[in-house]
Amino acid sequence: MTVYKIMIIEDDPLIRSELRNMLCGNGYDAVAVSDFSTTITEVKRENPQLIILDIKLPGENGFSLCSQIRTFSNVPIVFVTSCNTDMDELNSIMLGGDAYITKPYNTAILLAKIASLLKRAYPTGNQEAMAYQGTFLHLETSKLECNGQQIELTKNELKIMYYLYKNAGKICSRNDLIDFLWDNQLYVDDNALSVNVNRIRDKLSAIGLHDFIKTKHRQGYFI
Amino acid sequence: MSCKLYWKQKIPLLILNGAGMSVLTVFLLLNGINGGSMILILSVWGAALAGYLAGAYFLRKAQLDKLLSLAKQLEERYLLPEVMERPVRADDLVFYRLLKLAGRSMLEQVSEAKREQAEYREYIEQWIHEIKTPITAMKLICENHRADHSKDLLVELEKTNRYTEQALFYARSEHPEKDYLVRELRLFDVVHQAIADNRYLLRQYNVQIVLTETEDSVYSDEKWLCFILDQLIVNAVKYRTGSPVIRFFVERSGNEVSLCIADNGIGIIDSDLPRIFEKGFTGENGRGASQTATGIGLYLCKRLCDKLGIGLSAASNEETVFKLSFYINDHIHQVQG
Repeated sequence: MTVYKIMIIEDDPLIRSELRNMLCGNGYDAVAVSDFSTTITEVKRENPQLIILDIKLPGENGFSLCSQIRTFSNVPIVFVTSCNTDMDELNSIMLGGDAYITKPYNTAILLAKIASLLKRAYPTGNQEAMAYQGTFLHLETSKLECNGQQIELTKNELKIMYYLYKNAGKICSRNDLIDFLWDNQLYVDDNALSVNVNRIRDKLSAIGLHDFIKTKHRQGYFI
Repeated sequence: MSCKLYWKQKIPLLILNGAGMSVLTVFLLLNGINGGSMILILSVWGAALAGYLAGAYFLRKAQLDKLLSLAKQLEERYLLPEVMERPVRADDLVFYRLLKLAGRSMLEQVSEAKREQAEYREYIEQWIHEIKTPITAMKLICENHRADHSKDLLVELEKTNRYTEQALFYARSEHPEKDYLVRELRLFDVVHQAIADNRYLLRQYNVQIVLTETEDSVYSDEKWLCFILDQLIVNAVKYRTGSPVIRFFVERSGNEVSLCIADNGIGIIDSDLPRIFEKGFTGENGRGASQTATGIGLYLCKRLCDKLGIGLSAASNEETVFKLSFYINDHIHQVQG
C-alpha cells in the first residue's frame, strides 16, 4: 500500500502537532509547515499528495496560498477554518479548494474526507482484499472467502470484519468497535453489536470457519 | 384638541371684554346716550367678538386636526417635524423648533445605540471564531490520547461547542440572509452530520438511532439546517426516558418533503405544546428538578425555520415528533434539467 504524504499548513502549534499525530496514527505521512514565509517553496519541495490549509495565517492567508499552489499543482486541498461564513466557503470553492471543514472538526469526518479525496485523486484501480490466515475479505464486493467458498456480508457485518482484519491479532474492545461503526455512519449500540457478531459467526460456521472470531471476556473480540 | 379646555383658556379674554363693555356702558350713561343706541353699540361689540372667537377656534381646530391625521398616517412618527408645514405663528414656531431639536437628539441617540449593538455583535462573532481554535485543540488532544476521562471531556467539549454555536446563531439569526448558501442537500447527509456532531452525547446515554434512510434532497443551507437538527437532537436526549430511541424518517405529501425526528422521551403535555417555540418558555417538563431548560433552543429553531422558509411543527403522542417541512419546487429541476 502506498503511504500518502499530507502537508499541514496551520498556525496554531498545538493543533499542528496533534493533527500530525492523528494523521500519522491513521497511516499517513504528515509534514507540517512552521515557517510561513517560505510556504510555497516548502510545498514545492515536499510535493505532498494532499494539503490541509488553514485560512487565517500569519502573513499570506490561506486563499492566496491556495491560488498560488494552483498555478503549479492540482493537489487536493482541504480548507480548515474557524470562520464558518458562507463568503469563506464560497471563496474556498472558487479558488480551487476541494473540501471545506469548519473547526472544531470531527476527526472522523476529516479522515473520511481525506480518504475520499485521495481515492478520487489517485485511483488505484485494483480491488482491495484483506487477507488473514488463508481467508480473504473483499471490500468491494462485500464477501468473505475461505477455501474457495464465499459468504456475503451486510454493510454492518463488513465494517465489523474490516475492523477486526485491520487489527488482526489484537483485541478490539467493544467500545472501539462501536466508535468505529459510528464513524462510518452505522449507529449500532451494544446489543446490536452482539447480534451482528453472532450472525457473522453463524455465517462463518457455514463455510467451516468455527470460532474464527474469538471473544475475550469483558474486553472485546479478536481474530 | 379639547374644546372645553380651549374655551376655558379664553375666560380671561371674555372677562376683559365684559369689563370693557361695563365701563363703556357706564361712560355712555354718564354722557346721556339713550338705551336704544347703547344696545346697538354693545351688540355690535358682542357680535364682532363672537365672530372673531368662533373663526379663530375653527381655523385653529382645522390646522391641528390636519397635523394629527398627518402623524397618524406616518409610519415613522419621529419624522413628523420633517414632514409638517412650517408654522407661521410666533409661538408655534418656537414649538416647531423644539420638536425638531428633540427629534434630532433622539436620532443621534438611536444611531449611537445601533452602532454599539453592531460593534458588540461583531465582537461576539469574532470571539466565537477565536474560541473555536482552543476547542479544536482540546478535542484533538482528547482523541489522540485516549484515556478514561477523555470520553467525559469530549462530551463536555461537545457541549461547549454547542453553546458557542448557539450564541453565534443567535447573533446571526436577525439577518440570516447575509449568511446563506442554498444548495441541493441530501437530507440524510445533514442528519449524519448532526449525529456526528453529537456522537459523544448520544453514546453517553446509549441512545439508539434508527434511520430510515432515503435519497430525498432539498434546497437549503446546510449549516443552518444542521444547527436546527442539533438543537432537536439535544432536546430529545435531554428529555429522554429509560432506554432512549431517536428515529429519523422522511414523510412526503404533495409538494412537501418533511424530515421527522421522533423520540420516545417524556413528551410534551398538550397545554404546553402551542407555546414551546416561544422565547423563554420552559414548560412543565423544562421546569422539572433535573432539567435546566433555557427556553432558547426551540425559539431559535422556529425563528431560523421561519427565515429559511421551513415549516416546523411538533406533536406528542406515544412519540414526540418534530417535523421539518420543505417545500419542493419543481421549477428548479425543470430549469436544471
